[in-house]
Amino acid sequence: MRILITSASHGRSAALADHLAHHHEVRLTERVHVETEHEFVLSDLGHDRSTNLLTRGIDAIIHVAEPLPEEDVSSQLDAATRCTYNLLMAAAEEGAQKVILLSTLDLMAAYPPGYRVKETWRPLPRTQPPTLTKHMAEQVIREFAREGSLDVEVLRLGEASNETVAVAVDQALSQLDSLAPQHRSKEEGARDPWSITHVGERPQ
Amino acid sequence: MNVLILGGAGMLGPYVARELAPNHNLRITDITPPEEDLPGEFLLLDASDLDGVVDAAAGMDAIVNLSVLRRHRRLAWDVSTRGCYNMMQAAVTHGISRVINTGPHYTVAGRHITEILDFGIGPDIPPQPGTNLYAITKAMGLEICRVFTEHHDISVQSYLFYNFKDPAAIQPGEHYAPYVISWENAAEVFTLGLDIDLDALPSRNEVFYVFADMPHDKFSNEKAKRILGFKPRQDVENLWK
Repeated sequence: MRILITSASHGRSAALADHLAHHHEVRLTERVHVETEHEFVLSDLGHDRSTNLLTRGIDAIIHVAEPLPEEDVSSQLDAATRCTYNLLMAAAEEGAQKVILLSTLDLMAAYPPGYRVKETWRPLPRTQPPTLTKHMAEQVIREFAREGSLDVEVLRLGEASNETVAVAVDQALSQLDSLAPQHRSKEEGARDPWSITHVGERPQ
Repeated sequence: MNVLILGGAGMLGPYVARELAPNHNLRITDITPPEEDLPGEFLLLDASDLDGVVDAAAGMDAIVNLSVLRRHRRLAWDVSTRGCYNMMQAAVTHGISRVINTGPHYTVAGRHITEILDFGIGPDIPPQPGTNLYAITKAMGLEICRVFTEHHDISVQSYLFYNFKDPAAIQPGEHYAPYVISWENAAEVFTLGLDIDLDALPSRNEVFYVFADMPHDKFSNEKAKRILGFKPRQDVENLWK
């Protein structure tokens, strides 16, 4: 499988690339140059043809959606919304099958301690990153799933090791070929093109 | 009331400025100069400029956001999404509790999901803009506003429009969207939004469809009439009569 991982400058992306490279072809991308032993493509995730080229031939995208170091809030918001939109628009046009967004369980931290918070509950972002930006990235990606143009899985990461995250990503990738035609009912094996999984412990 | 109008030199802005000027002090901003004389003070300002928006909001009692940029893949996000974030940060900074935001009907009702299929579409549905650039950028702005109202004492009224008409220019039999209003009638709703007691609103984040009474019942303007006291004019009926 050919996998594109965004936010290459972030440690989570590097760890995932090392893990996935054992069994997949991995391409990393970032909005600034990053030194890595994996294939790397510099991309500002703009709306021009270069983002299409970035995603061409890619089967699955792991959108890590982390800010650059020292990035101001407005730019973080721009990256979470506009850049995510451009990435997914290109991915849909180029025929990628799946997008995995790494979000945060901080979105559910405002629920009272001890509550068994489910993925179906409403996220409670604050007005600053990281919850606002991750929430907005989720909101943008959800519309692609709603229209059926991409199969999307959101992994909301809590307190979890790189190994735990890698297992969750492996699981999400293993479902790549099992998305049944959407005109089938769930009883006939169809899955929703939008799913959320909580990974690790919820901050409280 | 001191009112900041963002994007006030566009198509709707002059109508809103003329409507509000007799009773309010206006500070109007836009990324380009107005093509006609507008009442009040005018500032050149890009809505995506956080510091500029915050500075422009100093001393204001309310913010009206008319900023629109529909088709450019970068500017649409700058104006409609980051612009809303900047507006809300400005409201927090200056303790402004009254914000009126604007957008298209498909900010909540995606064009391909409901408009073709359904009737009686109201504004209080879970937003489902789809990936249309104009719809999704405005919907993300709406969501940012909603999040801010959850954490701050700010009330946001979002007025959603579709198609504007000049009644004098309507040609019999011309095509029209299922959701039309005259420019002057649209401007009147902003007076209502500035006058309404914020405690009379059901919540700090309310969305309204604003348009003339139309016979086909595709969309519903009932909420705007019931809560804001909006009175649709009968000035676009030549479209179907």
